Amino acid sequence: MFTHNFKYTLKILFKNKMLIFWTFAFPIILGTFFQMAFSDIEKNEKLDIIDIAIVNNQEFKDNTIYRESFKALSDKESENRLFSIQYVTEEKAQNLLSDDKIIGYFLLKDDNPKVVVGTSDINQTILKFVVEEISSKLEIMRNVANLKIEEEKKNMPLGDMGNYNSLYASVYGQVMEMSKENNTNIKNISSNHLSYTMIEFYTLIAMACLYSGILSMFAMNQSLANMTTTGKRMAVSPTSKGKIILSSVLASYLTSLIGIFLLFLYTIFVLHVDYGNQILYIILLAFAGSLAGLSLGVVTSCCFKVSDNTKTGIIISITMLGCFLSGMMGITMKYIVDKNIPIVNKLNPANMITDGFYSLYYYDTLDRFFFNFFSLLVFATILIVISIFYLRRQKYDSI
Amino acid sequence: MIVFKTFLKVLNKNKFIVILYSAILIFFGAFNMQTSDSSQSFVSSKPDVLIVNQDEDKGITHNLIQYMEKHSKKIKVEKEEEAINDALFYRDINYVIYIPKNYREDFLSGKNPQMNIKSTGDYQASLAEMLLERYLNVASTYQKVISEEEKLIEKMNETLSKKVDIEVTSKLDMNNLQRASYYYSFANYSILAGCVYIICLVLASFLEENVKKRTVISSMKEKEFNRKLLLSNGLFAFVLWLLYAVVSFFLVGDIMFTAHGICYLINSFLFCFCALTLAFLIGNLIHNKNAINGIVNVVALGSSFLCGAFVPAEFLPDFVLKIAHLLPSYYYINSNELIQKIEVISLDTMQPVILNMIILLLFSILFSILANFFSNRKRKVG
Amino acid sequence: MKNIIEVKNLTKKYKNLKAIDDLSFEVREGEILGLLGPNGSGKSTTINCILSLLNYSGGEIKIFGKKMNVDSYDIKRDIGVVFQDVAVFEELTVYDNIEYFCGLYIKEKDVRKKYIEEAIELVGLKDFIKFYPKQLSGGLLRRLNIACGIAHKPKIIFLDEPTVAVDPQSRNNILDGIKVLRENGATIVYTTHYMEEVEILCDRVIILDKGKIIASGTTDELKKLANIEEKVSVEVMDLDPKYIKEIENRKHVEEVVYQSPVLMITYRKGKNNLVELMEYLKEQKINYSRIFSERPTLNDVFLELTGKELRD
Repeated sequence: MFTHNFKYTLKILFKNKMLIFWTFAFPIILGTFFQMAFSDIEKNEKLDIIDIAIVNNQEFKDNTIYRESFKALSDKESENRLFSIQYVTEEKAQNLLSDDKIIGYFLLKDDNPKVVVGTSDINQTILKFVVEEISSKLEIMRNVANLKIEEEKKNMPLGDMGNYNSLYASVYGQVMEMSKENNTNIKNISSNHLSYTMIEFYTLIAMACLYSGILSMFAMNQSLANMTTTGKRMAVSPTSKGKIILSSVLASYLTSLIGIFLLFLYTIFVLHVDYGNQILYIILLAFAGSLAGLSLGVVTSCCFKVSDNTKTGIIISITMLGCFLSGMMGITMKYIVDKNIPIVNKLNPANMITDGFYSLYYYDTLDRFFFNFFSLLVFATILIVISIFYLRRQKYDSI
Repeated sequence: MIVFKTFLKVLNKNKFIVILYSAILIFFGAFNMQTSDSSQSFVSSKPDVLIVNQDEDKGITHNLIQYMEKHSKKIKVEKEEEAINDALFYRDINYVIYIPKNYREDFLSGKNPQMNIKSTGDYQASLAEMLLERYLNVASTYQKVISEEEKLIEKMNETLSKKVDIEVTSKLDMNNLQRASYYYSFANYSILAGCVYIICLVLASFLEENVKKRTVISSMKEKEFNRKLLLSNGLFAFVLWLLYAVVSFFLVGDIMFTAHGICYLINSFLFCFCALTLAFLIGNLIHNKNAINGIVNVVALGSSFLCGAFVPAEFLPDFVLKIAHLLPSYYYINSNELIQKIEVISLDTMQPVILNMIILLLFSILFSILANFFSNRKRKVG
Repeated sequence: MKNIIEVKNLTKKYKNLKAIDDLSFEVREGEILGLLGPNGSGKSTTINCILSLLNYSGGEIKIFGKKMNVDSYDIKRDIGVVFQDVAVFEELTVYDNIEYFCGLYIKEKDVRKKYIEEAIELVGLKDFIKFYPKQLSGGLLRRLNIACGIAHKPKIIFLDEPTVAVDPQSRNNILDGIKVLRENGATIVYTTHYMEEVEILCDRVIILDKGKIIASGTTDELKKLANIEEKVSVEVMDLDPKYIKEIENRKHVEEVVYQSPVLMITYRKGKNNLVELMEYLKEQKINYSRIFSERPTLNDVFLELTGKELRD
């Protein structure tokens, strides 16, 4: 009887087009949209080459430091290229700016550097910053040269002014060399796994897991006498209620696992989502997440006596609210909730799943993963115990 | 009149969904608009930097912290490593600087102590790194010639505080325009989802096979019936648009009273009309209420993602934008983005926007023709 | 004959409303028992209580001499139920639906296969086994509903209004099928509000109203309760009122109603009422076109006992 009902529940679930659409196809479609929308966001966050203009007046041409510095920063061969520069007249520069062809231009007039920009934004800030840096470099060189000359002068016998010029030249050369050196010693120790759009896909998996609730709700309803007429038929058959419910729910679990497996395959091989390397833990999390979804469906099925559509509505609403709080509609949302009202996300099954994947992807230690994993198990257990309590009533007062 | 009355009754049954979608729009619209002061003078962007100081907060170390804090936004994060890592991942901070132990002593004695950082690798982080590198370069250059700490700090700060003149040309209220643009681009989702879903649901009731049979055999002319139905739906779409427009006045304020605001209104009105015809087309093709739910979600979410309602179009990959050209939403959202950038509204500057509007109208006509075609084909039952 | 089902003092309350009020009856082996009553008289509730689907407030139910409970699986094994609402899976074909429900009773695959084929044969769905329920007309759907309930060859079959809203062809098919089931040895409890079906089908009838038994017995026994022997209707044009008076005074006549052109005469008893009437009409030279004689129906019985019609 157990396998008979199991087999047929599978058949019924797979033949139901609406169920399969929402639990199998919809996450895949949504994932494709995510991929299309987000694939370039992080690339765009990296510093792009900034289009600027420089007013090519005589003063600029005569100033070695500015000329050389800008040349270095726009060197096409260089890895640190920052600007794409047009050398034009002031008038032309103004036109370029108003046509949005450049973000701003640089003008050197009467030894006074000036930056003209359209708006104030990050690229403009960078331009301003670079000009400031060059001008401070100029000052450093003057200061350092002066200090050095003062020092050398002290050691020089008086009246030996003939060597002054050669001294000046040698100090200046030294300072030039100094300014070219990069004296910083910075080491980047951040994780390589910083792609925050991954969270979108993790919430997607969370959504698919919780949507399995729709499957288990449907399967349960089919076997409850007070919900459907088919359930009445099963109640008068000589198969025990426990056997029927258990086999139906297990069939829905298997169905949802197949759906999530397909979603994993699709996101990994087509969308190139990175889940980290610990396959065993990823699978464990998917099983637990799906179980949480299943328990949600079971509890909705037996505790609310409303129509099928309303039950689906309840599951979808809970899922979408949970996904919203764990960052599906804006990744920052998850962080804001985590930081300010952590208790909400500690109780939110969608976040348990999302955060579980996040901790596998981003962290090397497993503490956080196991916290989420066990939270899911506790969540599922509580809901299932509540359901069993309801299901123990075997006869009904009204059908 | 009777058609309209029935329309309202069917609509009343679905009021929950209308309210839900409107609430979503307002919520997200408001959520997208982070307020910041707008001003006409230049405001430097400031990266979010966190400094973890393992040295004593004295002398050169103290000065470094002050310099970084002056040029960046200070973010409050718990100093636990996990909280820092989370903050970095979600871009709450862009850059973390770990000042090592004995940094001050090591630096003053001429060593070049290693400084660990964590970075998100984006614009803001690059800017933060530039700031840090500049400071370290200035410091180490001066350190070679000045040995006294106080004098060194004084000289450094003198150099670092050097400013350049900066002039901002644009007179546009960018902040508010951007907010209006966000709001109206997001409306792409709400209008599509709200309009198409509701209208399809109502049409499904009217065109349900047995009901349709009754109307076909009734004495009301087919054309008159269709016209009344279209009019009722049009009125509904208009009310929906009006609602969204009124809300925008509350959310964006002044800007809606300018020429820019009027452009946003006209643009969204045209799009609403286009959504109405699309709804009519889908409604005529599909009569299964369950299937409508799925299709509307795919259509509304799809065109919102592909055309830049959620993620600005400039961040979308080229191939996606090419696909987007096939959808009316692209032209609607593109217009919103164009309007935002136009300084002076004139027939001349509005040309690309007007072109987009014409394309929207063409889409509407195409949808209407298709809807009529399928409706006529389905008139004879069986 | 053995009593297969015994119901004693069954009572079921919904809050203040008594849906079933102290009901006692028994079902005998091999018979077709009809439960007749208007909508809302407690027929389905009674069946659901017998099947242990519903809680009941008081009384005792025994099937095969054993107390019926939710987990009396050995009893359930021999029961088949056809519910009022069609209870099948939209997602499964006709064949799969029958196979599924039969599979809840019968483990052995080859036996099951044989049973399913017999059930399909019985309800006449052979040409439709690959169809989905959505593709079936109302009557065919009802037949599938029946097949799902009886495929496992139960000893007792409950049929709850299986012919509601069914076309005549399917109805005849269903009624014939029920007769075959009885011939094969099944005991049948049949609820309906169509008295014609009860008259054709049932050995014994229980008439329910407002949760109480108001009469029971064989059809003939019940008809005696109606206090009427025969109803004769004659088509006569322009009958003179004086003849009506005369007819009223004839022997055994209970009531005469004339609604032109039909004259309806109800007789309390007597055997040759029709012949005598025809002779009388001939003597008075009254021309009549058609004449019918009807035996009293269960509706008349119901009318007599409750003062209202069985249907609506």
